[in-house]
Amino acid sequence: MSADLLRGALVRLAAPDPETDAEAFARWSRDSEYARLQDSDPARPRPAQYYRDQAAEAVEPDAYAFRIWRLAEGHAAQSASVKPTAEPSAPIGHVSLWVVWPHRDAWLGIGIGARECWGQGYGTDALRVAVRYAFDELGLWRVSLSVLGTNARALRAYAKAGFVEEGRARGQNCYDGARVDEVFMGLLRADWERGR
Amino acid sequence: MNWLRGERVELAALDLEADTRRYTAWARDSEYWRLVDTRPARAWTTAQARTELDDGLPQASALLFMIQALADGRRVGFVDMAAGAWTPGDVWLGIGIGARADWGRGYGAEALRLALRYAFDELDASRVSLTVFEYNPRAIRVYEKAGFAHEGRERGRLNRAGRRWDMLYLGLRRDEWQANGAARATS
Repeated sequence: MSADLLRGALVRLAAPDPETDAEAFARWSRDSEYARLQDSDPARPRPAQYYRDQAAEAVEPDAYAFRIWRLAEGHAAQSASVKPTAEPSAPIGHVSLWVVWPHRDAWLGIGIGARECWGQGYGTDALRVAVRYAFDELGLWRVSLSVLGTNARALRAYAKAGFVEEGRARGQNCYDGARVDEVFMGLLRADWERGR
Repeated sequence: MNWLRGERVELAALDLEADTRRYTAWARDSEYWRLVDTRPARAWTTAQARTELDDGLPQASALLFMIQALADGRRVGFVDMAAGAWTPGDVWLGIGIGARADWGRGYGAEALRLALRYAFDELDASRVSLTVFEYNPRAIRVYEKAGFAHEGRERGRLNRAGRRWDMLYLGLRRDEWQANGAARATS
């Protein structure tokens, strides 16, 4: 049993906080590369107020939403490639599980908005914590997600976490005049148990 | 030519009060419910059903049609479409034939042809997507006949009657729909 369910080696999953989060989400929304990787809506900068209003509206009882925070200096596990940070003042990303209770399934969405944190294992670590939460705390049977077929970094992270490709909606997305597949992935509890 | 009308059915506007009553009546058949929805079968109150039917309509991306038999004007089912995201032109489609007596009579197949023509010719969709449950071979056959390709299979995504069932993803691209001249000509 883990000492802290919501803490990984590099990050912790924290509760959403509309005040702190809104500024971060607004900052990320100005990064069109991030926006394209994040979802199929057109990239579009939004003011912080937009995210504050959204937070006030969104009451989804079956959504388990977290913000990803780097662990403060001294708390992060030592890793050669990662510099410990001073006390962080903003989240670096978000991860949510939208649970469908009758089927014990959840849809997972994750993003590292702070691009200076890309490719350093934060997403992989947050994903591991979120998946562990889904199985050990929520008692789910499977976790589902979809990802843009060209998002090699995310595909690698999901595969590392045990997700298996289950389908491919051919050309469901379109960027720069080219059709891009949407890839569906799933992780069964039984497979995750074997790999833990 | 009327794009909303076939030989046996037409796609008609929602009549909120009357169709709400139909919706609750159809939903009382749990087998029907399990074929069209992932949520648990339940006894729907009129108020719940009205909210369900009314809620999607203000969204610009949501289109709900009732399937009406031309012979006697009866409402036999529904078809809804939603643009997942407008820019890539992907339209999600859902369809259901409510009363058991109307199953297997080709109403769904014709309504699907009309809906596809609407999606491609009116909404300018580049593809149409849908999900269907492993235990619904009748629907899977109808989709295959309309030209849909199997694109994915979420393992054990549904938990029903004490076992796990797959959720299937099917898709039809515009070029495939256009090449499939039969689907166009028959409607």
